[in-house]
Amino acid sequence: MKKIAYFDAAVETPEEIIIAADMIPVRLFGNPTIGIDRANEHVPPTHCVWARNILEQAIKGLDHDIKGVITTHGCDCTNREFDIWLECIKLPFLFFLNAPLKRNETALKFFIKDIKELIFQLEEQFQIKIVSDKIMEAIRKMNQIRNLLRDISDYRAKMILEGSEFHALVKRVQQIDKSEALEILKTKLEVLKNKKSHLDNKLKKILLTGSVIDDTEFIRFLESLGLHIIIDDICIGTKYFWNNIDENGDPIKAIAKYHLSKPIYSTKFPSYERFKILKYFTEKYKVDGVINIAQKFCEPVLYDHPYFSKKFKELEIPYLFVEMEYNRESYKQLTTRFEAFREII
Amino acid sequence: MSKIKKTGKMLNATNKLRNEMGRHFLAIEQAYREGKPTAWATAGTPVELLYSMGVQPMLPENSATISAALKKSQNFIELAEDQGYSYDLCSYFKTNVGAVLSNAEMSEGGTRKPTFMLSSDVICDTHVNWFQVQSERMGGVPHFTIDVPHVVSNTNNRQREYFKKYIKEQLWELLDFITEITGNEYNEAKAREIAQNSYEMGKIWQEVFELRKNIPCPVSTRDTFGGLFPLFTMTGLKSPIKLYKRMYKEAKERVDNGIGALEKEEFRLMWEGIPFWYQLKYFSTLEKFNAIIVYEPYVYAFTKYTNPNITLQDVLKNPVESMAELILSFWYIYDLKTRIEMFAKTVKEWKIDGVLLHNNYSCRPNSCGLYDLKKHLMDDYGIPCLIVDADMNDPRKFNEQQTTNKIESFIEILRKTKKK
Repeated sequence: MKKIAYFDAAVETPEEIIIAADMIPVRLFGNPTIGIDRANEHVPPTHCVWARNILEQAIKGLDHDIKGVITTHGCDCTNREFDIWLECIKLPFLFFLNAPLKRNETALKFFIKDIKELIFQLEEQFQIKIVSDKIMEAIRKMNQIRNLLRDISDYRAKMILEGSEFHALVKRVQQIDKSEALEILKTKLEVLKNKKSHLDNKLKKILLTGSVIDDTEFIRFLESLGLHIIIDDICIGTKYFWNNIDENGDPIKAIAKYHLSKPIYSTKFPSYERFKILKYFTEKYKVDGVINIAQKFCEPVLYDHPYFSKKFKELEIPYLFVEMEYNRESYKQLTTRFEAFREII
Repeated sequence: MSKIKKTGKMLNATNKLRNEMGRHFLAIEQAYREGKPTAWATAGTPVELLYSMGVQPMLPENSATISAALKKSQNFIELAEDQGYSYDLCSYFKTNVGAVLSNAEMSEGGTRKPTFMLSSDVICDTHVNWFQVQSERMGGVPHFTIDVPHVVSNTNNRQREYFKKYIKEQLWELLDFITEITGNEYNEAKAREIAQNSYEMGKIWQEVFELRKNIPCPVSTRDTFGGLFPLFTMTGLKSPIKLYKRMYKEAKERVDNGIGALEKEEFRLMWEGIPFWYQLKYFSTLEKFNAIIVYEPYVYAFTKYTNPNITLQDVLKNPVESMAELILSFWYIYDLKTRIEMFAKTVKEWKIDGVLLHNNYSCRPNSCGLYDLKKHLMDDYGIPCLIVDADMNDPRKFNEQQTTNKIESFIEILRKTKKK
């Protein structure tokens, strides 16, 4: 089966359209174990380390089943890199999706048009028809996935499921055929239902937020230091399944509406609204502390950090901000900071 | 930093720029005295619409350049960093945060709390984030942002049409937003008058640039970087037009008399990107190599009316809607393919020997694609290029000696290339 990859910092790519085109949507992730070499020939090393990492992988060659890439509007780095992808990635289909910056009716109308353009170009490139019924079918399937992920996510709060295991699961769902994902999630939920709380209650309950944090090893590293991600506000987490798409009415409009109504990311406006969901999570899950991770040179998160810091201080909720390199060696160097945070919360 | 001797000739008219800046600051003071609405605006937003709506604009990034020119930006930047803003964030933004925090005077890059703020992501996300940050820090100033779809190398005409429509709709929403906040209504006749002035000002600048095609070049960066301020802040007003006309007249006289801005012009260069405002004199370093910058896409971009499809009639007929087309065809945000084509064309027309590309640590949208731009210009067109790593407003990120060494070697390459 053909695959369409998406390069997206905020999970606003309508996977349903790709599914309705009988292709598999595959989210592109960074790989912190590789060095960046070829990408640095195109992008200065002072630009987002995660975006350069993905470009590096793409230059070296993606999965041969991947027949196209959609880059979805994120930040200055990911947006501007698209033209470089056009320069050096030889794939039959490369599309830039302008997921809007704003969250109002005008932006919604625009987003619908851009999704329609995506459909038009997919149809033209692959000589297919993407019909409404199939989009609606894909919506229903994705909603099932979202429901299951929400249910499974709760087992983190019940101290049954490790944050790292959940993270790996969400990541896998974003990369495989969704029918297969559905089966995996159903099985997982059944297993969890029969499990009892077994995680150490002394673990500190953490809300994780920040940039794209896609290395499960990093979550394991935090766990090894006694920090349990009980809830998150990241795109390999709740931002992927926060709510469902309306299954009535025009499916394209419903998809656009879904993406513009879910909790905002730091790449969109007004990103300070992100604090509302963070606050809600801290209250609902009674977290011990909040960890905000910025990948090196991740400007949107860097701009938001001082505001979040101030707001959490007002609420007297412990908050740790860490700017980090995208490689596993750097995790160890951060041990002391995370340990110190664990001690104070 | 070492002292650099000035040898190039600046136009006498450029000296009058100080008066224009003074006029701008006085207008701001007057607006506050009279209780007239004011607005912060980011570069690339249609400042003309603010003037049309009776709102006095202020552009904090231009204020930031003043701080840098007065060697005050580093202090302001460090103050912002003390507030938690990363070393890696935009130095204009941090200069503004520090300046506001210090209650700096307007003459040193300070600015005042506006009635509202207008930003756009047309140039960068930073503009939007910047005003979000400052709006909150100033106690919740109303903030309108214009979302400009990102044009890429394979954007088609069908897409451009609905991109434009999206921008147009937002511009009308902006006018409603201004009316709601200020009570001022949109006045078509006034908008036309402002549009006419804006068009005229942009075109005169373009004519000045046309004169720079001549050998020797009559106008140097002292005039262009120095004369840029009104293009950002006073678009739509009459007074800067007079200044630019004087600049044109003087430049034309030089051309007619075969006089160049540089005594001995040997190498003609292009400068891509924002200059280092804290060390503008550094550009004089080039003069000792008999080199002159004859074109700066950054400066030319702000002449605004670079799209031949937008005529004066269009602007007068639809002062609001024509802005949408102009925003989408803004030089500074060209997609990579267009950027390469436009650079090659410009190099040919302006008889340029080499291109200096500023890899500006603060401006990631501008520096992204710079390496590919360089590669194409060199490989496909045989144009010598040099990348200069620095920052527009943060002197800590400028290594003068290293830059000079690189430029010196580059000039040697140009010398050899010219001999062939």
